[in-house]
Amino acid sequence: MDSINSIFLLSGALIALSILASRLSSLVGVPLLVIFLLLGMLTGEDGVLGIQFDDYPLAFLIGHLALAMILLDGGLRTRLKTFRVGFKPALVLATFGVFITSGIVGLVAMWVFNLSLTQGMLVGAIVGSTDAAAVFSMLSGRGVNLNERVGATLEIESGTNDPMAIFLTITLVEILVGDIGGIVETMTFLVTQFGLGIVVGLGAGWLIARLLRFLDLAPGLYSLLALALGFCVFGVTSVLGGSGFLAIYLTGLMIGNQPGRHLNFILPVHDGLAWLSQIGLFLVLGLLVSPSQMVEYLGPALVVGLVLIFVARPLAVVLAIKPFFKFRWRETGFIAWVGLRGAVPIVLAIFPVIGGVENAALYFNVAFAVVLLSLVIQGGTLSPMARWMKVEVPTGTTPERRGALGVLPENDYEMFVYHVENDHLDDVPIRLLRFPSGALISALFRQHAMLHPKGSTRLRLGDVVCVIGRTDDLPALNRLFNGEARLKRERAFFGTFSLAGDALMRDVADAYGLTLSPGEQEMTLGEFISLRVGGHPVVGDDIGWHGIHWVVSEMEGNKITRVGLRLYQ
Amino acid sequence: MTLSSILPPERTLFDVTGGSKKRVLEFFSTFIAQNTPSLDSQEVFSRLISRERLGSTGIGNGVAIPHARSPHCKAPIAGFLKLDDPIDFDAVDGDPVDLLFVLLVPEEADDTHLALLGQVASVMNDADTRHQLRHSESQQQLHEVLIEAIHRHADGESSRPE
Repeated sequence: MDSINSIFLLSGALIALSILASRLSSLVGVPLLVIFLLLGMLTGEDGVLGIQFDDYPLAFLIGHLALAMILLDGGLRTRLKTFRVGFKPALVLATFGVFITSGIVGLVAMWVFNLSLTQGMLVGAIVGSTDAAAVFSMLSGRGVNLNERVGATLEIESGTNDPMAIFLTITLVEILVGDIGGIVETMTFLVTQFGLGIVVGLGAGWLIARLLRFLDLAPGLYSLLALALGFCVFGVTSVLGGSGFLAIYLTGLMIGNQPGRHLNFILPVHDGLAWLSQIGLFLVLGLLVSPSQMVEYLGPALVVGLVLIFVARPLAVVLAIKPFFKFRWRETGFIAWVGLRGAVPIVLAIFPVIGGVENAALYFNVAFAVVLLSLVIQGGTLSPMARWMKVEVPTGTTPERRGALGVLPENDYEMFVYHVENDHLDDVPIRLLRFPSGALISALFRQHAMLHPKGSTRLRLGDVVCVIGRTDDLPALNRLFNGEARLKRERAFFGTFSLAGDALMRDVADAYGLTLSPGEQEMTLGEFISLRVGGHPVVGDDIGWHGIHWVVSEMEGNKITRVGLRLYQ
Repeated sequence: MTLSSILPPERTLFDVTGGSKKRVLEFFSTFIAQNTPSLDSQEVFSRLISRERLGSTGIGNGVAIPHARSPHCKAPIAGFLKLDDPIDFDAVDGDPVDLLFVLLVPEEADDTHLALLGQVASVMNDADTRHQLRHSESQQQLHEVLIEAIHRHADGESSRPE
């Protein structure tokens, strides 16, 4: 009985402490995941509480559970439309890129630890994949709004590159313990891992998404059903020989991209679950490691980590991206820098322990040190790097709160709540606002009282406005309620003037005295810019042309709808 | 070419009746054609309107900067209008517009065009200036505020990018 109580106390206290410490992270700037790891280590055998925990199988199980949940959540949050720009580069990074990273790190590990080639490669494979948990949480937690090309590539890469690393790790472990099949068998394994993962993940995900939209359940049950079915997909895929991690990510992707009211119930719960998974996972991994043992490997492990960060990852990214995709150098540079390692390598490092590989402690401790280093160096410098590499896009106002009305099952109306903080909306009658035609102000709150808004009602600063509209109205509404400070930042980035994407180049050239080649006359401005940036434009892309910075400021699918003119002065 | 030298007091218009975007631009075209004989009001109007068709020159905060190149324009011309009532201008932030800074430039002066536009934008992006302009009581005061703001920006920001 006592042990149950202490487990309650301990896990409760640790998780609570971790959550409270997350405030610290934003104040001090230490990456959150590092704090969780450190808390785990502090609780562990060499720490304050001195708890002995070396149950690798249990940690392995927790690791799988947590990673599955994190990937499911990551999939839920990945917008399918970002695949437009991010899918292909991410796929190359997730396969070819992991291969190169692992290879280079493997060679260096072989040399610094005096290992055989296979053993060295195993080290490389373990730290080969970027971690979805780390990338997702770092990107969203830092308030960094990356341009779509970079953001999507990083997210999709981290969601899909685990199967490759897992494949390499398992193969190498099998070689080391001596029960490896032939080349053919190994390749079949790789193909089934990816193939089944993709097929089952997408197929089941599509079905589950339909089911969730069709079912009428109590609000709290949607997220549980999604999680339960996600786990089923993971299990079925793994049993069949596919990659469960890839499958559950894709399942999440399918669910998250099926619009409907169920999403409003699923997303917040899964956000919490993903957090719990991250905290739990990192705490457990922190508990599992023995810092005193790690010190033994620290020096060489640091070399491996530094090589990974400064040589292997950048090289892999450049080789995987530059020849095939038109990324700018600064975008490539940022992607190379955000090769965050997280829980995946540490979980993978348990494979050799469980597989009974000789000298298994080495892999685990090296992986741990590398992850810690990566989180501190890369994670800690994420936002300054994003600013320095100019891959950020300013964010405008978003509704303070939003929620579906739950009236129509699909394409529902939503309520958006905005604060009137834009100086110029002060004293403006509602009828003069350029409001999207389908949306309307349903209520207006002023000094804790609700007013009945009419066309002649004049807005005041500090008013709270409830707007009923559709998701499509959001861009226009956000623009309308954009505050002064944000507007200024946007203007500095996108330029003061803007042109419609479907304006003809002939007319644009006429307005600003630009010279065009004959073929360009009949193009629209959007097509022209799109061509100049090499296809697949994203918001924030810019070209310098005729003494003007032309900045893509709005997109609809693959089409540029608005272009900003930033003037040099 | 400084901005202040192309904006004489008589081209600073106070309390103009707005009505609509089209009406204001029409009003300005007629006015500028009377003020500057070489210009044709129809021509100016159609140039300004075609620029608006590419995307509104309403830059937000109730400010619009209509601008165009014109072959009949000998030297850059600026004009300023303060409307008595804000009008819908299809501006980026959707706000109605009551301050308009109009710029006409000769066809060959493309670099000057951009430089002047940049100056106008930086003057009008200043919240204090807008506030002062909105609270000006007369044509003369309006002009003084503008010229003063232009000088302030020319001094303070000559070395800084936009």
